[in-house]
Amino acid sequence: MSAPTVSLLLMLPALLLLASVFLYPLLRYGWLSLQASSVLTGLVPVPNGGANWGRLLDDARFWTDAGQTLRFALCSVSLELLGGLALALLLHRPLRGRGPLRALTLLPWALPTTVMALGWRWILNDPHGPINAAIRSLGGSSYGFLSTPATTWFFVVLADVWKTMPFVALLLLAGLQTIPVDLEEALRLEGASRLQILRRLTLPLLVPYLTLALLFRLAQALGVFDLIQVLTGGGPAGSTESLALYAYLNAMRFLDFGYASTVMLATFLLLLVSLGGGWLLLRRHGQGHATERAA
Amino acid sequence: MAARPPFSSLRRQPAVVGLLAVLLLLLLSATGQKALQAVAAEPVPIRVLMPAPLADAVAGPVARFNASGSGVAVEVIRGPLDTETISDLAISSLLLGEAPFDLLLVDVSWLPKYVAAGWFVPLERWFGPEVLEAMEPGARLGNGLGEHLWRMPLTGDTGLLYWRTDLMPRPPRDTSELVAISRDLQRHGRVRWGYLWQGRQYEGLSCVMVEMLQGFGARWWDDATARTQLDSPQAVAAAAWLDGLLRDGVSPRAVANYAENDALQSFAAGEAAFLRNWPYAWREIEKGDGPVKGKVGVTAMVGAPGEQGGGTLGTWGLSLIKGSPHPEEAVAVIRWLTGPVVQRQLALEQGYAPTWSALYDDPDLQRRAPMLAVQRQALQHPQLRPPTPAYAQLSDLLARQVNGMLTGQGGPEQTMGTAQRQSLQVLRSLAGPPGSGPADP
Amino acid sequence: MRLLVLLWSLGPLLWQLRTSLLRPEALVAPLREGNPWTLANYQLVLCGDPPFWQYLTNSTLVGLATTLLTLLLAVPCAYGLQKLRGPMRWGVGLALAAAAMFPTVLLFLALLEIARSFGLANNLLALSLPYAALSLPLAVLLLRAAFADLPGELEDAARLEGLGLGQRLRFVLLPLLGPALASTAILVFLASWNEYAIALTWISRSDLLTLPIAIARIGGGSVFTIPYGAFAAATVLGSLPLLLLVLVAQRSIVSGLTRGAVKG
Repeated sequence: MSAPTVSLLLMLPALLLLASVFLYPLLRYGWLSLQASSVLTGLVPVPNGGANWGRLLDDARFWTDAGQTLRFALCSVSLELLGGLALALLLHRPLRGRGPLRALTLLPWALPTTVMALGWRWILNDPHGPINAAIRSLGGSSYGFLSTPATTWFFVVLADVWKTMPFVALLLLAGLQTIPVDLEEALRLEGASRLQILRRLTLPLLVPYLTLALLFRLAQALGVFDLIQVLTGGGPAGSTESLALYAYLNAMRFLDFGYASTVMLATFLLLLVSLGGGWLLLRRHGQGHATERAA
Repeated sequence: MAARPPFSSLRRQPAVVGLLAVLLLLLLSATGQKALQAVAAEPVPIRVLMPAPLADAVAGPVARFNASGSGVAVEVIRGPLDTETISDLAISSLLLGEAPFDLLLVDVSWLPKYVAAGWFVPLERWFGPEVLEAMEPGARLGNGLGEHLWRMPLTGDTGLLYWRTDLMPRPPRDTSELVAISRDLQRHGRVRWGYLWQGRQYEGLSCVMVEMLQGFGARWWDDATARTQLDSPQAVAAAAWLDGLLRDGVSPRAVANYAENDALQSFAAGEAAFLRNWPYAWREIEKGDGPVKGKVGVTAMVGAPGEQGGGTLGTWGLSLIKGSPHPEEAVAVIRWLTGPVVQRQLALEQGYAPTWSALYDDPDLQRRAPMLAVQRQALQHPQLRPPTPAYAQLSDLLARQVNGMLTGQGGPEQTMGTAQRQSLQVLRSLAGPPGSGPADP
Repeated sequence: MRLLVLLWSLGPLLWQLRTSLLRPEALVAPLREGNPWTLANYQLVLCGDPPFWQYLTNSTLVGLATTLLTLLLAVPCAYGLQKLRGPMRWGVGLALAAAAMFPTVLLFLALLEIARSFGLANNLLALSLPYAALSLPLAVLLLRAAFADLPGELEDAARLEGLGLGQRLRFVLLPLLGPALASTAILVFLASWNEYAIALTWISRSDLLTLPIAIARIGGGSVFTIPYGAFAAATVLGSLPLLLLVLVAQRSIVSGLTRGAVKG
């Protein structure tokens, strides 16, 4: 047996499992999205001539959710990148007790999303949560943080940032460790300030890691599901509903598998477009830094 | 660019291995204990999934049933409070093909969907036509579909109109009177708002719409063509009436964000002359010590002048899950739980409307449950939500459109036109080309 | 600065700890009044039906099975990928990276159909199949990077000694891969411990629920208000194993991600 054949054989079991869990669903959704497969057809697929896609274009709920999901992803990912960068820079410095500190800041990322989603619901509870309790003890009256769209939205983003910022920090920390210490030292001897070092050395070298964090987090945030399902259920009045939650409801609540598949495929396409956009953006930015350095 | 990790050593591995070992031990001890538990089981277990308030309401009767030595042990699973959440829970179990319960308490609006999915067993083998004939007309609706009986009703609730006995001598007879009385009271500063109802974007708004469409002589759903008729002039008139309530200040703008409890809270605080709500609201008002306690009357929902009004039917009933290992015993439980003894207790303790005509004739119950007469009257002309398996989607898009109108995003005509167009689109996408799906579930 | 970071990370958790130790009536009392501590919430949770440790065991079982299965599949795959040359290597690597990013919730419907047609529902061991697939991309990428870090001469020498492929892997390469395996295993275990969407659709029996689902049900499945004290106790119990794991394995996690992260 030639070496490539052995390689392929070794990879085969893993690739087969991956294909059946990742590739098969996409193909299946592609097919189902062209079928009526709902309670009206007795859950049996019947071709419906692309009616699902026509419905998608006119579905106010889908487009509202798409806008909300995109807005959520952009806000929380940019906050996570900023906060993650700051956290990574802090954890990179030689501090006393850095090990335990790293472990403890990592903890929010390691916990199941649902655990803290419910935790946040208690913290924001009206009127008994700690925030409202504090407001009342200061003489104010308690506020329904999770019954007003604006505040609900804010806290959904906050909860997501809280949970995933450590992960971004971890990735960037990995990047920071690749930066040679003597390079930084040399710049410092030239009289560069901390900010200048950050701008001219650290950030440009971190670009690949930032790109990775951005793409990864963007993909995950565009598929946000469990946090929203547990924290708000999509409410109030659908103002925090994400595309993934809408797809889930179409399948599990409306028993409309044809349309649920359509929504999921559309979400996937939206994801590809956003990731492509994000990647191009960062690449141009990275090149900008490169030319700046060359100049 | 491989990042050189602090490749340190194997030093920390023992710790990881140790941790995994501890977890494994924990696991083994757990499975062992479980095997021991599985030994003892005698009476036939029948498991019923119910929303928590109803589960608590029947706890007493269930305990008595279990103690009666019938050889059946009823176990009530307390589901979530929220109607949609409990349906989600039931569906996620049923979709997997092995339901962990034998009976399900079903809201009238779910039934067509569950039947179409093929999850229920028809009940006419055990309950003949004479059984339903002993019930009030409204309670008979929404239990059968096609040729079959799928559900035995446990409660006969409908939407009701609450009015203030201290502000008017008699309740309004139609929508025009409702507005006229409201504006008169508001002009004289006797009450802040006229009419409170549910305008939030959710299923409750669809229930309001069912009542208004009927009350203006329109129809949401046409059974003959299996299509919606939301863009008829009467339907637009119904939407325009609701819109007018907000624009004329008879209802507060905040109604567009009200669910049942928000409206009830404001009405109970004495802020309005009328309220649309379910029967439970009366108990809530009377059991508190609010400003309107003892000053509230209840009547059937009104329609436009010359039209027959009626409240939306919101009944609960028990259905038998296909694949239940003990159908006979499960049916015995249905018989007991929907029987007059249990319904009587529910009416007395929780204010749920009974379904049996005999209970409405019972003078003792009449005396102790003052709402009974109105509930019976409301059950003469109740309104069904569209009895189609696609109801959830149709309701979602109508509520979305109407809520948009209430928050100023379009006039009644445009709103109902869009709702009709989208409804037809949904039906096309659900059913495939005409005639391709099974005609009758 | 450090304190601030800790407060941000741990504050919400500490509040849960406090909540879990309070009597129900103290939860609704103003902040300053007395401290009627109690362990009753823990007792309630541990004696529930099913008792809380059942969920912990379920999650542990799924986590261990997933970790084992993932490593079994990922080690040969990573080795094969490392030896592969040309466009195939590039293509597989890209596909793995794409799969690693894929939001898993978008898979649930097709996986639900699979579970129904193959009778895999309500089976914790079967649940580890999709879980292993979800973790495989990252695991392969991490392990491939680890293989790449091993000096090539080592394997050549072993080959000259006449050792077969299996023996080389088993006796020469894997022992050197120890730290990478450990950190990969921890990441896989964490991912499966926390997974939500698929467990939500594959498991309906309450005694088989995994921890995230069980906890979400406490929130969505309660009567008028959420029993926050008991719930907080549940979160504390559910967090403790992870706290231990993260404290013990912090360096493994950091180094594991450091190694493989960007190469993918």
